[in-house]
Amino acid sequence: MGRVREGRVLKMEGNPESKISGGKICGLGQAAVQVQYNPDRLTQPMMRVGDSLQPVSWDKAMALLEEKTGPKSGINGNEFAFMTGAMSGHLKVLVQNYLDSLGSKNHFVYEALSPAVSFAANKQIYGVDMPRLHFDKAKLILSFGSDFLGTGASPVHFAKEYAKFRKAPRGTLIQIEPKMTMTGANADRWIPIIPGTEGVLALGVANQLLKHDDFSKTVPADIVNLVGKYDLDTVSSITSVRSDLIGHLAGLLWEKSPSLVISGASVEGHVHGVQNAAAIQILNRILGNVGKTVDGQAQSPFPQLAPATGSFASLKAMNDGMGAGTYKAVFIYGANPVFTTPSFMGFRDNLRKVPFKVAFVNAVDETAEECDLVLPIYTAVEDFGSHVAWYQPEGVEITMQQPLMDKLYSDTRSMGDIMLDLVKQRRADEYKAWPNFFSYLKTAVTNIKPAVKYTDTDEHFWYDTLSHGVIHVDAPQQQIAENFSTEMLDLPTTVNSPDPKFPFYLIPSERHYFRDGRHANCGWLQESPDPLTTVVWDSWAEIHPKTAASMGIHEGDYLEVSSQNGTIKVKAYLFPGIHPDAISIPLGQGHESLGRFAKGVGVNPFKILNPVFEKNTGELAMFGTRVSVKRTGQSEIVVKDEGPVSTQMGRKLVVTLPADVAQLSKEI
Amino acid sequence: MSITNLLNNWSFYRQKRPYQGQYDLNRQYSEYKWAMALDLDICTGCNACTTACYAENNLPVVGKKRFNQGHVMHWIRIERYWDENMGEFPEQGASFLPMMCQQCEEAPCETVCPVGATSHTNDGLNSQNYHRCVGSRYCSVNCPYKVRYFNFWNYPSTAWPAPLPDQLNPDVTVRTKGIMEKCTFCVQRLNEAKSRARTEYRLVRDGEVVPACVQACPTSAITFGNIVDPKSKVAMMWKNQQVDLYKDMQEKDNSVRGYRILEDLRPFPSVMYLERVRDMEA
Repeated sequence: MGRVREGRVLKMEGNPESKISGGKICGLGQAAVQVQYNPDRLTQPMMRVGDSLQPVSWDKAMALLEEKTGPKSGINGNEFAFMTGAMSGHLKVLVQNYLDSLGSKNHFVYEALSPAVSFAANKQIYGVDMPRLHFDKAKLILSFGSDFLGTGASPVHFAKEYAKFRKAPRGTLIQIEPKMTMTGANADRWIPIIPGTEGVLALGVANQLLKHDDFSKTVPADIVNLVGKYDLDTVSSITSVRSDLIGHLAGLLWEKSPSLVISGASVEGHVHGVQNAAAIQILNRILGNVGKTVDGQAQSPFPQLAPATGSFASLKAMNDGMGAGTYKAVFIYGANPVFTTPSFMGFRDNLRKVPFKVAFVNAVDETAEECDLVLPIYTAVEDFGSHVAWYQPEGVEITMQQPLMDKLYSDTRSMGDIMLDLVKQRRADEYKAWPNFFSYLKTAVTNIKPAVKYTDTDEHFWYDTLSHGVIHVDAPQQQIAENFSTEMLDLPTTVNSPDPKFPFYLIPSERHYFRDGRHANCGWLQESPDPLTTVVWDSWAEIHPKTAASMGIHEGDYLEVSSQNGTIKVKAYLFPGIHPDAISIPLGQGHESLGRFAKGVGVNPFKILNPVFEKNTGELAMFGTRVSVKRTGQSEIVVKDEGPVSTQMGRKLVVTLPADVAQLSKEI
Repeated sequence: MSITNLLNNWSFYRQKRPYQGQYDLNRQYSEYKWAMALDLDICTGCNACTTACYAENNLPVVGKKRFNQGHVMHWIRIERYWDENMGEFPEQGASFLPMMCQQCEEAPCETVCPVGATSHTNDGLNSQNYHRCVGSRYCSVNCPYKVRYFNFWNYPSTAWPAPLPDQLNPDVTVRTKGIMEKCTFCVQRLNEAKSRARTEYRLVRDGEVVPACVQACPTSAITFGNIVDPKSKVAMMWKNQQVDLYKDMQEKDNSVRGYRILEDLRPFPSVMYLERVRDMEA
């Protein structure tokens, strides 16, 4: 939703009719207007001439597309690849249809921060990609590194449920993670842990629980046996979590039922990521949470519209194909792999080997810089579309996107219109009924009418849909399984010996307003302080004050952070919410392109990630890189919102009340 | 109120501000007195409110250098504090404090303005008249919450490279160099709602109008409304939390969470905070 005045969209708001947002909106959503009016938007098609991109007319651009990929080009399906970011709805169907028309199976969906490992674990255990999580029904949430309030599957929706969870009878949130996330900052108890050992801790807690007869019958005997080896001392020495805390956690879980145990990116981004997640999920099984706080989402009756969320495997397949010279043409939409892929992949060099590369963008990013044809498309507030979120709290919600204003630049086009033109290159007869994407979408959406039992005319249905902005489809709930096996849970019980050359664990942290960096060219987001460090307009390395003191590091000192695959130079920020053996650098900055607000700001930790992969899925283990840290001797002030003192200095600014004293049930 | 009137009756206007027990709400305000309640236990520190404020109120993006010089213009900011006795790790998380103009009843900023540019409106807002402001910055110095922001630079000419000005909200003035600005409780929204209500011979209904920060907040941590209306949610919350607009240093039960920040300075703020809660057994 947006407020429009004199044909201009001024402000975005959440749609109160959405079951997902409930009328609320995050800062990223607010910033959609800054994408729309961005001074660095691409306003006309660009074609590569020599080393640079030069303006060109749409006629010439489309003629070039026809020449290189049209029916007369002789290109076959195997020689063509289409990379997109996460996609859903009818544009995804059209992309698929275009690939079908070419006889190509090469739709590579890539998101640098995809939930692929989490999906794989859920699939093995529950038989579904993502279960429905009832935060509001839990008395205790035990979160292993899940930043569900900031960067999870559906932060605005989860925040809404979190607010209910905190009302009487107030639930307790415990967060265990190597670096404090925004969710961790809101926890009643925050526990630091050595990165990657979260699964072992979960099994340690499980071991304590299974000693009781109430719980030991909940899982097969072989699992009880396996869990038996994770005794307090072993787990404590592996995880660095005190052994009395492990027993305490088990006690709390036993006392506060139903609970909800969840895992997040920092748990899943390791070699044994799926096992880590499974070890955490077994607690839900033991505690009987499945069916109470963990159950199935609705089964969408429209699988073709369901979101493709992307994976590293997909990126790797395309990168290998490009490296081997398989492709004559590639299209890239909604992804910026040149920026988000680690250097070891050589993605930029491989992309250069492809003879014809096309990018569909709002602004020229690092990937578009490498392309031969860069086509300017409408922004989200100028175009029609339909979307299905991958986390659906109630039924299935199809979100309708419709223009809030006319196109700002006459030489931009709708991505849907372009795709329809491309499909028509080979299937003109089949698609002749639709002159544009609008008419295609209208027909396709109207076809949903029977599923929602709408009885009025098609025309009414269409306008009703647009005026509400969402279609709610009642759908049966997915049944979820509970498959746990000893193979899934068998995590190493030996301590990782520290690598003397690379003594620190690197935590490439996801900032809630930057994600993988695609929104970095919005001034509002650059100037919005990071919630925990309050730093703006920069990158920084979070290091524990104790570690910093032992190395003589002060705030603002430039550090050289090196992995086997590269070095970045970044300012230190002393941060108590991090494990002393870890160093955290936020993702999203370090752009070489994209526009004036992003270019040259900060560093890009994606580049120094090591080739470490999750062993079940082949996904890049984002948290598996070890680094060394060296002082450079240079120093610069860290620009941040917090003052010189980070405590309240005894003033009553934020007062904390113990939960057992508060009487929330008497409040309004 | 003209400037001549203000200067001629200076002592009267100064004394008009309340002191403990002198006023009661209904004598002071007949129709509206806008107030807020902010629950620190469900504020997650996500900054959705601050971004919404940038969008609604035409706040300029100042850039890194000016941010460092303290020239940032965020009318609402999230302060983050660590516990004083936290030890090696912040085991109880962080404390987030959304801080915006508290619309004080006895506003320390109002009395020091040499030109009467900041004064109380008849619906209880601490207003800032951009046309009258001469930029003395006394108000900012005197504000205990540090929520007044000064235009050190001519932002209209630099902060919005074309076509970003197309996004500007036409209901809100774009401020120029040399004047002070601050949170207005989105007065443009309030005025529109009041005007609409007036044409329908009624008062603004509870929940009919909210500032941009309240509208965006994903956890609905902020409640806004007319405290004169005893049935409004905000009035009921204030009453329930035993916070009285015209009292300071209030004695309350231990279990009651409502409080106002720096209440002992007696500015009588219109924003009530609810204490953050932590499960100490966890």
